[in-house]
Amino acid sequence: MDVLATSFSSQINLLTPLISGIANGAAYGLLGLGLVLLYKSNRIFNFAQGEFATIAAVVAYVFDRGTGWVPKVPYFLALALGILAAVLVAIATERLVIRPLFNRPRVVLVVATVGVALFLIGLEGMLPYPQTASLRTISDALHVQAYVTQVNGVVVLDQDIAKLIALAVLAVLAFVFFRYTPTGTAILAVSQDATAARVVGISVERISMTTWAIAGFLGGVAGVLLAVPPAGSVTPGSITGLTLTVAFSAAVLGGMTSLPGAFVGGLLIGLIEAFANADHSYVPGLNSLPTAQAEVAVAVVLLAILLVRPRGLLGQEA
Amino acid sequence: MAAQTEFLTGLEAPRERAGVTTGGWALRGLFLLPVLWLVFWVPHHSDDWTNDAIFAAIYAMVGLSMNVLVGYTGQISLGQQAFLGIGALTAANVVSTGTTAADPFTFSAGIVAAALVAAAAAALLGGVALRIRGLYLALVTLVFGSVTADAIFTIPSLNGHDAGVPAYRPTALQGNYAFYLFALAMVGLCIYLDVWIRRSKVGRGLIALRDNELVASAFGVNVLSYKLLGFVLSGAMAGLAGGVFAFWAQDFSDKDFTSAAGFNKALIFVVMVVVGGLGNRTGVIAAAAFFALIDPLFAGIAHHTGWLSFYTDHKAYISNLIGAGLLLQTVIFNPGGLGQVLRPFTRWFSGKPFTMHHDGDAAGAALGGGDSVRA
Repeated sequence: MDVLATSFSSQINLLTPLISGIANGAAYGLLGLGLVLLYKSNRIFNFAQGEFATIAAVVAYVFDRGTGWVPKVPYFLALALGILAAVLVAIATERLVIRPLFNRPRVVLVVATVGVALFLIGLEGMLPYPQTASLRTISDALHVQAYVTQVNGVVVLDQDIAKLIALAVLAVLAFVFFRYTPTGTAILAVSQDATAARVVGISVERISMTTWAIAGFLGGVAGVLLAVPPAGSVTPGSITGLTLTVAFSAAVLGGMTSLPGAFVGGLLIGLIEAFANADHSYVPGLNSLPTAQAEVAVAVVLLAILLVRPRGLLGQEA
Repeated sequence: MAAQTEFLTGLEAPRERAGVTTGGWALRGLFLLPVLWLVFWVPHHSDDWTNDAIFAAIYAMVGLSMNVLVGYTGQISLGQQAFLGIGALTAANVVSTGTTAADPFTFSAGIVAAALVAAAAAALLGGVALRIRGLYLALVTLVFGSVTADAIFTIPSLNGHDAGVPAYRPTALQGNYAFYLFALAMVGLCIYLDVWIRRSKVGRGLIALRDNELVASAFGVNVLSYKLLGFVLSGAMAGLAGGVFAFWAQDFSDKDFTSAAGFNKALIFVVMVVVGGLGNRTGVIAAAAFFALIDPLFAGIAHHTGWLSFYTDHKAYISNLIGAGLLLQTVIFNPGGLGQVLRPFTRWFSGKPFTMHHDGDAAGAALGGGDSVRA
């Protein structure tokens, strides 16, 4: 009996996937927030959201490190500059690409965001900086011990805690913004009926620009928090490649129109992935799939959600 | 009201017999010579060029498969590379030649199986995914693409235990140029299919669906089965391209379709069908060939201008920038794409008087305007 109990607990370590799931989930949720915001307001999927994040990470990295052309600035100022860069890129995207296409079918806008993503990856690739490097973590910049907590021998990175806090704060702020501020409600009004919004005196153009600026901000925050070791880097396209698809699944699971839903969906998808990827040697047959259990699990969840409950867990029409 | 007129624009315009004289046809024939020279003579220049030309032919087939899906049915797929990969995987595993050349029978079986298995996969995915409306389909195909690549292509017994599955060509097609001619024939088959879809009841049904699903179903078009048919035909064409791809590389390697390489392919496929002009097969073929040839083209230019080291360092990013730039200029300034630009010439070659005006053939309406695909 005793032997069985020990072997059982050593085989099913629930804590490790739980913690890594929450950490990854925070990342998906952070990107998902921006996706949800733009879906809520423009009814499009923004495939460039991951690149808003990468741009922020690249700019933050360059300012944090300092080169011949770019002055070295304090770490948190560098992060702020990175986020600012993401906001500027988002505004430029809105003015140059989205606005000329505003009255065209949504699928055109989606294809255009794919183009923006490709373009930004290309642009980053042309910049002269070490492209396999990664941003310093917050604890590294503050010169403190990198691992803050150890729960039952499982380390918790404080960068992951920072991601989680940022995600929670941003989700709540965004929720409040849409529920209680004039600009937030104006964005919702435009998303429901642009003509009617114009009739009551809302400037559709300005609202559209504000929305994209906020999306750029959310993407930028995600970028500077994600592009750190061990998994993250400032490689062109890295955030798009690593997290964008999963972030979409998270946003869909939470409900494409719900900002707190992005938070919940992100964490759930992170957990699903982590538990699917965990050591399943105690479940016969489950390990026969080679490396993609996590992806398969996420795909199955996504399909099931879309077929059974297309509005996701917390979604409703805005 | 507008929806009904839109529905009608997708139909084939009444054919008028153009009175082209023998001299007129001869002139057209003369102007066709440079095209024939480009297609048949230039790739003969060297083995490398033939190799690139085969790759361009494969991309042209993928472009046509995207054209059926995006151009005619108005669905967007970000997972087309998975069908290409499924085709390649099937063909390679059917022949799995070891070190010898395939015999003609297994070779043909491999090519046919590639198309069939990809079609089956498309039917499977379409059966589920087509119930999902609007933009979510793009998301589902995106996830399908990466999941198939990472879950199926990495199964050791299917990918030759990570070493690749050899797929040597039969002796008759051993030479690159002979195989190029075979690839061209396959492109011809895809073009034939495309023309058939466009002119048949199926094509008219699909275009009616794309333009307005409600109106089309009111006219008796079976929404789900027509969409599924478009999806399956597109998958079969991509699978056929995959079969040719396997014998072009003479090997199936999962690395061509997994993670970043696969995702990049998926994006390029969307870019090329949009840049080519949705629903316009000449434009799509030209754009596909261009995107397939970007690398050798720019490598050549860089080589002659002394930028070679810069080029090789930034290779992937340069084609990204070009693709993105072309895509954005197409959707913003020139929604008809390359096909729109080529249209006066293709019309002239088909025996109509030369004119730069539009002729109302609005097969490319998916991007041109209207509310063809709704979110």
